[in-house]
Formats: sequence, C-alpha cells, structure tokens
Amino acid sequence: MFRKVFVLWSILIGFTIFISIQSYTQDAPEVSAKGKEVYEHSCAHCHGIEGRGDGSAAENLLPKPRDFTRGLYKIRSTESGELPTDQDLFDIITDGMPGSSMPGWESQLKADERWEVVSYIKTFYDGFKERETPPREISLEGKIAYSAESAQIGKTLYTDLGCIECHGNVGRGDGTSAPTLTDAWNDRTWPANLAENWNFRGGTDTEDIFKRFIGGIAGSPMPAFEGDSFLHFGLSSEESKRLSEMENKDEMTPEEEEESGKLYEKMDEAVLVALDRAEGTELTPEAQKIYDDAMKVVAEKSWHLANYVKSLSPEKRPETAIGNNSLRSQYTVEELPIIEDEAWNTLEDSYYPLVGQVVIEPRQFNPTIDSVRVKSFYNDTEVAFLFTWHDRTHNIEVEENEDTGTSYEDGIAIQFPVKPPKGPTDEKPYFLWGGKKPVYVWQWKASEQDKITELTVKGVNNVTVQENQGDLNVKGEYKDGEYRLWVKRALTTDDKKDLQLEPGVFVPIAFSAWDGANGDKDIKRVMSSWYSFVLEPVPSSRRFIYPPIVALLSVGFLIGLRGFVQRRNSASDEAETEQ
Amino acid sequence: MKIKLLTSLAVLLVFSLGLIVFADDHGKSDEMNKLVFPKSYSAKAVSGGGKISGVVKFEGDLPEKKKLEINKDEAVCGAEDKYDESVVVGEGKELKNTIVYLMDISTGKDFDKKAKLEMDQKGCKFTPHVQIVPVGARLTMLNSDKVNHNVHIFSSINKEVNKPQPKVRKKMPLAAVKKAEGPVEVKCDIHGWMKAWIAYVPHPYFAVTNEKGEFTLEDVPAGTYKLGYWHEACGSNIKEPVTVTVAAGGEVKQDFTLKLKK
Ligand code: HEC
Ligand code: HEC
Repeated sequence: MFRKVFVLWSILIGFTIFISIQSYTQDAPEVSAKGKEVYEHSCAHCHGIEGRGDGSAAENLLPKPRDFTRGLYKIRSTESGELPTDQDLFDIITDGMPGSSMPGWESQLKADERWEVVSYIKTFYDGFKERETPPREISLEGKIAYSAESAQIGKTLYTDLGCIECHGNVGRGDGTSAPTLTDAWNDRTWPANLAENWNFRGGTDTEDIFKRFIGGIAGSPMPAFEGDSFLHFGLSSEESKRLSEMENKDEMTPEEEEESGKLYEKMDEAVLVALDRAEGTELTPEAQKIYDDAMKVVAEKSWHLANYVKSLSPEKRPETAIGNNSLRSQYTVEELPIIEDEAWNTLEDSYYPLVGQVVIEPRQFNPTIDSVRVKSFYNDTEVAFLFTWHDRTHNIEVEENEDTGTSYEDGIAIQFPVKPPKGPTDEKPYFLWGGKKPVYVWQWKASEQDKITELTVKGVNNVTVQENQGDLNVKGEYKDGEYRLWVKRALTTDDKKDLQLEPGVFVPIAFSAWDGANGDKDIKRVMSSWYSFVLEPVPSSRRFIYPPIVALLSVGFLIGLRGFVQRRNSASDEAETEQ
Repeated sequence: MKIKLLTSLAVLLVFSLGLIVFADDHGKSDEMNKLVFPKSYSAKAVSGGGKISGVVKFEGDLPEKKKLEINKDEAVCGAEDKYDESVVVGEGKELKNTIVYLMDISTGKDFDKKAKLEMDQKGCKFTPHVQIVPVGARLTMLNSDKVNHNVHIFSSINKEVNKPQPKVRKKMPLAAVKKAEGPVEVKCDIHGWMKAWIAYVPHPYFAVTNEKGEFTLEDVPAGTYKLGYWHEACGSNIKEPVTVTVAAGGEVKQDFTLKLKK
C-alpha cells in the first residue's frame, strides 16, 4: 500500500516540477546575474521580486511602483501602443520620475549596471521578446521654435482636442474629469499640473511634452493624440480653413456641397492610410505620400501645442524662499492693496515647497499640493499677505464616494512662533504644530473663505482657539485650480497671544495645507519646516538685525527634516531586509 | 520513518504545487474571466449546418440597481437617469450581455464581412455594452454626443488603445487587432462611469444575449462542441463547459442559469 502511494506521489511530484520548470523557463529568458542582482538589491523592495509592483515598500505609495508584467510604460519616445526603446528605459532609470517616488539612479548605479537592469526588467513582460520589429519612434521633425504666436495657436488646440477636460482651463490639472480618474490598475491618479512642470515624470523640454501627448502615457487616462486625432486630418491648412468656412454656412451651394464632399473623401482616405500603417501594412508610395503630407500638418499643430504647454510653467522651478530669497514684505506709504489689486503683480512670489507630513500617523506619502507662494506689503500700521497655492479640486465639505473614497475640506494654516526668537541662538518651537514652545496659527478653511481662526498650539493634541478673534481681515477665493488667500492685520495687536510685528525683525513662518480630495485631514497634510520673513525696513531704518544667521538656521532645519525622513526610510528598509 | 518520509513528501508536494500556481499566475491576470479560443481556425463554406440556441437566466438575489453619478457634462450625459450595466435582466431575470460561444471549433463559416461593426457613445453611454470584434476587422467608434470622449481599451495581448474622440469626430475607425483576446474593458476616462467590453475573436461562433436573454449560433457544422459563456458579473465556465452535439440541419437548445461570481 505504502509503495503504491509512494510511486503515485513521485510521479505527481516529478510531473509538477516538470511543469513548473517548463513554464518558468518560458517566461524568463536567460538574464545576466548582474542585472538580477542590481534589481533585487535596488529595485525589488518597490517593484517586487517578480516585477509586479508589489514590493514591501509599495503599499503606501501612489502612484504605485510600476508593475512590469503588463508592459505599460509611461515615458516613451515611441508611438502609441508601442513598447519603449531600451534608451527610454535607461534614461528613466537614470533620471527618475519627478512627482513620484521613483528615484533617479545616476549617482547610485554605474551606467553598465543601469543597462543590465534594463535588460532584466524586460524579462518581466513577454512582449519585449515577442516583438519582431523595433518600436516605431515618434518623429520630431519640423520643430517650431517658441514664440507667443505659436503658443497662441497651441492654446486653441488645447481646447479643441479636449486637454481641458482633464488639465483644466489654464492647465493646473483641475479639469472637470480630474476627480474621477483611475489608471490601468484601478488606482487613483491625477492629471499633471501643467503649470508646475518640474513634477512631470518625463522631462520639461518642448520635445518631451511633444512626445508625451503624441505617444500618450500608457496605463494612465492620458490619451495619445496621434495623427488622426487632429481635426481635418489629411487636409492642408488651406483646405481645412476652406472646409470650416463652408461648414459654418447655414446652407451650402451645390458647388460647395461638391467641394466639401471631395474634402471629406480626402480625409477618409487619409484615415484609412493611417490605419493601414498602424496595422503594419506596407504602404504604397502614393499612400505613403498621403500619410506624410497629412503628418506634416499634424506635426506643425503639435509643435504649437507643445509650445503652449511649455509656456504654462515658469522657465525653471522657482528658488525656495530661503536666504536671499526670503520673503521681504514691501513698505508702502499707501493703503494696503486688496485681493483684486493690480499692485500685487508688481511683486515676485516667494516660493515655499511643501512635503507630505511623514513624521507621525496618519502620514501623507503622496502629496498633491506642491507649494505655497507668498507676497506681502506693509505700511506704518498694517501688513497684508497674499498666499496662493494649487489644488486640483475645490472641496468645501466631507463627501463620500464609492470609487474615490472620502474627501475632506481643503484648507491652509500659517504658523508663527508666539514670540519671535530673541536672537539666532534662541530655539524655535517644534516645526510640526509646536510643542513646549507654543505656536501662533492662522487657520483657514475652504468652506468659510473670508475667515481665519487664530489658534494657539502646543503640539498636535493641544490646540486652543484663541479667545480674541477678529483681528484679521480675510478674503479667500478658488478659481481654475488655484486658491488665493488675502490676509491683513495690524502690525501690533492688544492680544498677548498674537505675534507682534516690527520692521527689520526676521520672523519664522511655516505652512501646512490640506487637499481634502487627497485624504488630507487634521495631522495628515502637506507642510513645510520653518522659513522666515521680514518686513523689509525702509532704507532710513537701522533695525536690520540678523538675516544671514536666520537663513542659515532655516537651511539647517530643512536639512534636519530631510535627514530625518531619509533615516526613517532607510530604517524601514532595513527592517524589511531583516525579515 | 514512514511518517518522516510522508511528511517530507507532503512538503515537497505542497511546494511544487505552489510553484505551479506561481507559474500559472505569472502571465496574464484573471484567467478565469477570459474566453477560450481554438488554437487555429480555418473558414470554409458551411452547408446544412445546425443551430444552437437558448436563454440565459440569472439566479439569486439581484445586486442593487446602482444609479450612476453624472458629475460632468450634465446637459448631455444626465438627460436621463443612468444605471450600472454590469447586470441587466428582464422581468423573468433573463440576462442580457452574456457571451455564448463555441470554445473548440476549428473549421466553420467565415465572418459576415458586410456586418456593421460599430460602438456608439450616445448620452455618455457605450452601446452596445458588449461588442464582439473579429480579429483583423476594424471597429468604428461613433460619437453621437456634443461632448468630448476618449476611447480607452485595456488590451494586454494586443496594444492598449487610448484615443481621444472630440465632439467634432463623429466616426472613428480603430486599427484592427492581430490576436484574439478578451473580453477587455473599454472606458471613457473623461466620463469615468462609461464602461463597456470588447471581445476580439478568431471565429464567428460568438453571440451576445439580448434583452430576453436569448442567443443563437447558426451554421454550426455537425459535430460535438464545448459551449462556453462569459458574463461581466457572473464570470465564465471555462472550467466546466457544456458539451453539445449538433446534427446536420438540427437545432440544439441549451439554456444557462448564472449566479454572481464570488
Ligand atoms: C522607492 C520606490 C522605488 C524604487 C526603489 C525604484 N522605483 Fe522604479 N518606480 C517607482 C514608482 C512609484 C514608479 C511609477 C511612477 C509613475 O508611474 O509615475 C516607478 C516606475 C519605474 C519605471 C517605469 C518608467 C515608465 O516610463 O513608466 C521603471 C522602468 C522603473 N521604475 C525602474 C526602476 C529600476 C530599474 C529601479 C532600481 C534600480 C527602480 N525603478 C527603483 C518606485 C521605485
Ligand atoms: C482623460 C484625461 C486627460 C486628457 C484629455 C489629457 N490628459 Fe494629459 N495627463 C492626464 C493624466 C492623468 C496625466 C498624468 C499621467 C501620469 O503621470 O500618470 C497627464 C499628464 C500630462 C503631461 C505630463 C507628462 C509627464 O511627463 O509627466 C502632459 C505634458 C500632458 N498630460 C499634456 C496633455 C495635453 C497637451 C493634452 C491634450 C492634447 C492632454 N494632456 C490631455 C490626463 C489627461
């Protein structure tokens, strides 16, 4: 009896091992030991040992580390539906993906190690092995240099092609479709904010932008705006203009009917040629000419559009408001400007980057608010601030949604010490909502846009609403993905719990912001460490105290915060490896 | 000793089974929710073929009829109430949108080349909800709405498709695909509630049930076949297909009762 069972089992086992080995060798061609080693050492804790994007660190991340088994790659120089080139993969591994947790590996891995790992990640998807021809690359011919006119033409295309649905009127990622987007893995995703292109995954050059909307961003909702997506594909610019003219008439003459009919036929023909090409059919010379002519017109339009998208962001990511860039409130003898006043346009923004709060639970690992920008004026009695920040959604209440989860109210808080430090060595309160040393906070919520609540806070669980409210004039507004908040106050108040301001004295300032649609609420938020600002003294004043030292201190704090976060990360990495 | 051997064998067995599961799962996800296609298919004229027909019914408690939240382009999309279409039944629980097909047919009739292959976007809804598309044929997407749509087809064996279809583009033919696949989901990201399914098939013996839950497969060469079904919410029977035998010129009736998949 025992023997029988034994034989049966042996057969079974032999067979199953045979099957497993068979299917395993089919899936994974021979790979260099080096590529595997690099991958398992540097990438697997995010992307998973088997490349499924399910590494131990993946859980809290959004966008999720890529699942390599579906062959969906966002950043490609190749046409829609094609896999990336090896160079694309090498470049993205080298540069990383800003706005996500994908790091750049230029300094961590040698070039040959990066090439080895490119080969290795390709083994996770059979499509790389099966493809017979190299992927078709997007042609960059006919580039049109930037000009205001070009961008202006691009702007109409931006609306006509429907970019606006997701990216919004002026490109801040606040289109009406933005709140409901999900990716190929059913994870939530947001349209890029085209006004903050330093968070683009695939680079900020006009060429990068051009490739992104023509090739699409695979796996994401962002479609590929290739040839036939453009109006009147197949017609020359003149023909296209003529057709629009005729179409806009109430009634066409018989001649016009005939003329337009011919143009429609021409367009249909071009679309069919484009389909033949997409299906891999070899084109006849005539068909090829039809295609090339049509694509010339498309390329021209695409460059205009790329120029427009490029124009939506500043040249460079603004410098952080630290040291020489610190916020300096400008003195004026006049009444302080109200929120609508043009006078604000005469000032430069001071730029404060925000990061997810990852020190205490609940943490925000996937921040959606990039930064807050500040301008300020003061006169002999008052000071006014204008705070602006981008948020793709306007949330003024708690909302439940089956697909996207619960969203909360948006808001911002501006934090000061209750008393400015007496000197550079005088310690500031804890940057995260104070501690033993209290902080003085202006808390603003999107549902009550013309009101700020003044708080005294001594740590996250010790928040007191000040008894004396109403020292502040406040106006807030939301438009096209941007909040603007205007606050005016007397330089000095009678309330001992308030901060008192004096020209020339550097005052620490820090920010917290909440994007309710991203799950921000209470301690889950984006925030900054301490920065400082000063009421820029009028030239005659001699009360200029210690700006460079304060600036240095703030840098120190920033580095400290970064170090802290990094230590946390590597500590959790180590914990993972130990397991 | 015996016990020791037995245990180690058991461990080995479990381990090797684990490997199989791993190997199986390594490819495409969710195999259970796909169709099964024959290895090859050749078309030739069929004379005196038989017919397979039947009715698909739903069994069990119907899921709550979910009203879709129209949060965009209300004038065009919200003119009438819309409901989730994952389970659509008639009064007697006849189940619409079920694919019924032959799994293992290798020769039979050719596709009807003249049949119109269209999927419309009208009132911000895809019609039909389930579309069969022959491999090598071009599906034309229509936009009957005065709003912008995008057609996002989540193929994984064929290329993923995500094309804009602005309101001015009334007709948009799509490139034919090379491989049988599906059903794959179709979505409009601009209107996140718009969902449909496409099956790319290598032979014409596929039917989608109508409002009355009915399906018919015609011109089936005499023989014995495995009959399969697929439904978005009820899954498929690829593990336990029904065997039917069709006589020349005969008609076979085969009904199905489907439950929600777990
Ligand atoms: C801290 C986590 C993390 C680590 C470590 C990491 N990645 Fe990533 N990676 C990501 C995330 C997150 C994404 C997806 C970003 C997105 O979709 O916007 C990504 C995306 C990618 C992509 C897709 C690029 C595209 O065009 O879509 C590649 C390729 C990649 N990673 C390679 C690597 C390699 C190789 C390594 C190791 C050398 C590595 N990653 C290490 C988080 C990580
Ligand atoms: C259906 C919604 C949708 C439409 C329509 C859309 N986009 Fe996007 N777009 C997105 C999403 C979502 C992302 C973020 C992709 C990601 O990284 O996952 C994005 C990202 C981008 C990016 C950033 C690329 C990068 O490197 O990170 C650019 C540039 C862009 N879109 C331009 C455009 C242009 C131009 C159009 C119109 C021709 C357009 N988009 C239409 C959804 C859309």
